[in-house]
Amino acid sequence: MNRSGVRGMLRSPFVIVTGVVLAWFVVTFLVWPNANLLIATFFPDGTLTLRAVDKLISSERAMRSLTNSFLLAVVLSVTVNAVGIFIVLVTKYFDIKGARLLWFGYASTFIYGGIVLAAGYKFIYGENGIATDVLLRFFPGLDPAWFTGFFAVVFVMTFATTTNHMLFVSGALGKVDQQTLEAAKSMGASDWTILWRVVLPMLRPVLFAVTILTFLGGLGALSAPQVLGGREFQTIAPMILTFSTSLTSRDIAALLALVLGVATIVLLVVLTRVEKGGTYFSLSKVSSELVKQKISNPVVNVVVHVLAYALFAVYTLPVVLIVLYSFVDSRAIESGELSFGAMSLDNYARVLGQSSGLRPFIVSVVYSGLAAVISVVGLIFVTRILSKYRNWLTTAVEYLLHIPWILPATMIALGLIMSYDHPNLLVGNIVLTGTTVILLISFVIGKIPFTLRLLKASFASVNDTLEEAASLMGARMMYIFRRILMPAVLPTALAVGALNFNSLLDDYDTAVFLAHPLFQPLGLVIKANTDGAVSLDARANTFVYTVLLMVITGVTMYLVYGRAMRPGKGRRRRAGRGVLPTSGGASVAPVPDASTRPGAGVTARTATQPSAEVA
Amino acid sequence: MIRYENINVTFGDFVAIPQLDLQVDEGEFFTLLGPSGCGKTTALRTLAGFVQPAAGDVHIDGRPVTRLPSDKRRVGMVFQNYALFPSMNVWENIAFGLKVRKESKAEVDRLVRDIARRVDLSDEQLEKDLAALSGGQQQRVAIARALVLQPKILLLDEPLSNLDAKLRGQLRIQLKELQAQFGITTLYVTHDQDEALTMSDRIAVFNHGRVEQVGTPQEIYDQSATEFVCNFIGDSSRLTPDFVAQVNLGAGSDLPLERSSYLRQEKVGLQPNPALPRSAALDGVVVSRRYHGVHSSYTVSSHGSTVKVMQREDGTVQPRVGDAVTLHVNPANVLQYTPDGVAAATPDVAAAEVTLR
Amino acid sequence: MRKLNQLAATTAAAGLLLAACSPSGADSDTGNGDGGSGETLIVYTNSNADGRAEWLTAEAATAGFTIEVVGQGGGDTTNKILAEANNPVADVVFGLNHVYFSQLVAADTIEPYTPSWSEEVDPALGDPTGDGMYWPVVQQGIVLAYNADALAADEAPTDWTDLWNDERFHGRYETVDGLGGATTQLIFAGILTRYQDPDGDLGVSDEGWEQIQGYFEHGSPAVPDTDLYARMAAGDVDMGQMFTSGIPSREEEYGVTTGVVTPEFGVPFAVEQVAIVQGTDQTEDAQAFIDWFGSADVQAAWSAEFDSMPVNAGAIEQADASIVEFHAGLQQQDVDFEFVTENLSSWIEKVELEYVQ
Ligand SMILES: Nc1ncnc2c1ncn2[C@@H]1O[C@H](COP(=O)(O)OP(=O)(O)O)[C@@H](O)[C@H]1O
Ligand SMILES: [Mg+2]
Repeated sequence: MNRSGVRGMLRSPFVIVTGVVLAWFVVTFLVWPNANLLIATFFPDGTLTLRAVDKLISSERAMRSLTNSFLLAVVLSVTVNAVGIFIVLVTKYFDIKGARLLWFGYASTFIYGGIVLAAGYKFIYGENGIATDVLLRFFPGLDPAWFTGFFAVVFVMTFATTTNHMLFVSGALGKVDQQTLEAAKSMGASDWTILWRVVLPMLRPVLFAVTILTFLGGLGALSAPQVLGGREFQTIAPMILTFSTSLTSRDIAALLALVLGVATIVLLVVLTRVEKGGTYFSLSKVSSELVKQKISNPVVNVVVHVLAYALFAVYTLPVVLIVLYSFVDSRAIESGELSFGAMSLDNYARVLGQSSGLRPFIVSVVYSGLAAVISVVGLIFVTRILSKYRNWLTTAVEYLLHIPWILPATMIALGLIMSYDHPNLLVGNIVLTGTTVILLISFVIGKIPFTLRLLKASFASVNDTLEEAASLMGARMMYIFRRILMPAVLPTALAVGALNFNSLLDDYDTAVFLAHPLFQPLGLVIKANTDGAVSLDARANTFVYTVLLMVITGVTMYLVYGRAMRPGKGRRRRAGRGVLPTSGGASVAPVPDASTRPGAGVTARTATQPSAEVA
Repeated sequence: MIRYENINVTFGDFVAIPQLDLQVDEGEFFTLLGPSGCGKTTALRTLAGFVQPAAGDVHIDGRPVTRLPSDKRRVGMVFQNYALFPSMNVWENIAFGLKVRKESKAEVDRLVRDIARRVDLSDEQLEKDLAALSGGQQQRVAIARALVLQPKILLLDEPLSNLDAKLRGQLRIQLKELQAQFGITTLYVTHDQDEALTMSDRIAVFNHGRVEQVGTPQEIYDQSATEFVCNFIGDSSRLTPDFVAQVNLGAGSDLPLERSSYLRQEKVGLQPNPALPRSAALDGVVVSRRYHGVHSSYTVSSHGSTVKVMQREDGTVQPRVGDAVTLHVNPANVLQYTPDGVAAATPDVAAAEVTLR
Repeated sequence: MRKLNQLAATTAAAGLLLAACSPSGADSDTGNGDGGSGETLIVYTNSNADGRAEWLTAEAATAGFTIEVVGQGGGDTTNKILAEANNPVADVVFGLNHVYFSQLVAADTIEPYTPSWSEEVDPALGDPTGDGMYWPVVQQGIVLAYNADALAADEAPTDWTDLWNDERFHGRYETVDGLGGATTQLIFAGILTRYQDPDGDLGVSDEGWEQIQGYFEHGSPAVPDTDLYARMAAGDVDMGQMFTSGIPSREEEYGVTTGVVTPEFGVPFAVEQVAIVQGTDQTEDAQAFIDWFGSADVQAAWSAEFDSMPVNAGAIEQADASIVEFHAGLQQQDVDFEFVTENLSSWIEKVELEYVQ
């Protein structure tokens, strides 16, 4: 890593061009809209108004929601880790029968999430849900509305957010050196001791990072509390949404968002501190691949198998039922019946047959695709500079690029509207509201921090000497970039692109503010279909949309990760191919990119393996 | 002490070790030597209990241990990459096994510090993170970690291959000294013949999962039992039948011509050796010369053979490329193998010894 | 690289599809309509559900208008127009009541126009300022509807306040906590205006706020995604808020017979209005469309299709007698809309913060 100063950096035309574009983008879309929003809410006429603070403090509901959000975050940190670590262990560490099948089940959260997932769980465990029906048969005294409130939210979010574990903890586990396990075994350590004292401590940095992500996810949870929380368990994010739509109450929304933002900043600072504490990798160049561990105690073995398959059922049930229900008619859905005789393609014919049926899909696909491509391509250039030059300027820029992580999507959308609903020189005096670009811009903004962290980690894993060697042979900067760096970061870039694409497909929060009315993406349509349930067909339509959505995300995942997921392909992937979050996945790690910090002894040594870094 | 009996190891369809019989004596520094992929590690891991043989038995101290879990075999292992626990500091790494045994706190600390002192790790190094240690220090931690449990056998799998050449040289000596000091039976795996020859009491040369030869370093070198061993160890030239015939002619020996014949580069001279009067003198031309400081390596073309010759740089005038030279060869030093690769007859050691006298 | 190409190809294909599917956009002139020049008129509305949007699009097309209906909730539609004030997308907006429209007028987003049918509607139902910025098309009573199969008429409440003041109804009525909808906001407005008190918080007396507290304290919270009528059919609740035109279709769908509470104060009426959005580049088309849409025939057809109560006198004549009769039987509450418009946002905020549980 090059610790060159700002002046040296600015000598490169590549840096200057990228820098100017970046500076404009940061000022125009990250700093100004949000600053503008805060100023407008807290300094409406030039003086500080604390009306919102007073209102919030005196509102019992708001305070309770705040408490609930933090409670949810804390509880999820425990439950998500418990489940997440368990599923990673049974798919990647222990020798469990059918681990591959289990993996596919647990991976269902890759293909659906957010409002769609929450609705799916509710459909099954809710009042008329099929699972509730079954439970009632065994426990007639059960309250049919048992699946609501704190418990339901925690339950759903626990299973919905293990994606990070599947991605990052799996990846880190894959890099644990088999020989350390054997060393421990030869010293008489039991399965449990090895797991607890050797393996988990090695995963500590990535677990910490994932815990923080989980915590933040809990803090800002929107759809699950909205769908399942009921009145007794309300949280902040839905309140922000409620208040931000009304002009008069916007300051309250901004204040709540600030609370979330401050909590996020504190956590990120802690994370950075802890990152400095070090990551653990195999200390040597040669490490042997982890071999699945047999659980020696037969009773424990059976228990773990049973648990693993029980979780499998929890993970897959909603998906399977959503797919099945998408084929039955609306009435059957309403009553929760499921008979194979009643299945037909009518729902699909109705949704796709409507002139407008396919349109939201295409709109969503195009928006998500463009946003994914723009964010990844743009940030490849930016990250390249940020990771090559370390100085106060690049550090500052890097911090600024994290703004979208600190503010909820809703606030960012509002900031954009407020700042660009009139001609503004920053964007060439074009009014952005009412155009199709503004949603795209906000999609791109939202994906910046995640993309940046992952790409940075990926760049850090490229051996510096490769670049030096190429430049000695006379290669120009762009050529090196294209021929040496790009191939090394491409797998990560594709993976990040795919994840971005998928996460934007069913976006609702941003689209509800910014979508062009003629180009409404899927999220709005799905939400509209669930609202009020005026028509019986609406719910059936939602199932069809959900299935199609899962198909799209599934196909995307397959295109990017497909080759490696295919079963029976040799014993293992080749080293240095580890881009898949599924196994090698290291290169895809959001926060936990300890490898990006300069000169860490241990990491520096491992950094010779291409794209194999990061906790 | 250690006995491999009819061991067969397979991985799926792949036979890593077809049949292994091997005996290691108490207190011995015994080396498994061979090119990489030949099954050395597998043999070692079979002893440690990480690999279950498909057939055969492993005995330690006369007792079969094949079914025993690895921690019950009383073997300590130093892994190729040390396999130190990165999440623990030095002290914790060494203490790990003791803690597993639930030794008292005080006892753990005493034993850890004791072993650390013996492998030359200072008290302050004990508190360090592994990343702060050099490769050599890490290795000592790994050894201390293995030895602190007082194993009967120490297993070392290429412990030096991770290090740079100079350190490797130093550690070779240290390792050997440590072994001598502890007097522990040691099974050492390496692909480096220098390491094997300098450190071992005895060596087993492996090839494709089979033992080609077991013997002292000198036996292995001077009396390579198979063509493979001959090629793998040291530097030798393959001789043409024409060349061998000339040797027979000059020295009055009767080496069979149809066998594969080799000549080690230091066993042929450009000057007659007065200590070896029964040598044959053969004409040749210098094809190339490589200067090494202590010596030079010559390639001499003679009677259809390309013969490598090591010539001490003792200050005398040396021949140059293109010069006609005379090769002095003692037929006793010609190694010969039947077409199936086995040594035809023990080379005429007696004759060599006689001449040495 | 292959993957990247695939990705690019997919994106490109999707882009093409989008282009193919997009409506004959604002720049493509399809020409030759009788009603307008043929360019697409964009119509914002909150009155799009239950097939209204499709019906309107089809009917307008036969009349020669190419329109695109964009449906969202009342609050969202309003906010959208406000946000797009400087770059309007919409040409026409309808369906909002005058509380919303007065916000739009205040933000200068409405272009004044007096439709050809302005004489046929009761001016009292239109713009209360008398400026004629927007014009009424459909009137809705916002009522407390109950399941007549569960409650006899004499057992039913006589006013909203009975719900929380009479224990018989506790837990039997649905409360809505999503306060963004026009219907809900009008209910609160209808209750709060009865307790005007210049000294009270936000112009409402403490007694008034106690009503709101009671409303939430004793109600059964609405279940997301489950219609009030579905819950009435299932027996979970017996009553809740409803807009009148929604009643017939729900009765049919859920098989519930509806009773409507008629408080002595009357029921708040939401009058759906229509207007041209300021900044449209198709003023003439928009005017022509409004003239067509509000005309007696179209409104009569709309009423026949969606059970709505028209405002246009000519349409009322043609409308289903039962609908007209039903609405005639509803006494319109005299809501002080100036007072409501001024305070509604603050009320809603206060309710959200302090009363929603
Ligand atoms: N777990 C395993 N599964 C399959 N093949 C293996 C395994 N371990 C080793 N082998 C194969 O066995 C052979 C011997 O390996 P090894 O003992 O590691 O060789 P060495 O240590 O001599 O280099 C090699 O061909 C290797 O690929
Ligand atoms: Mg080996």
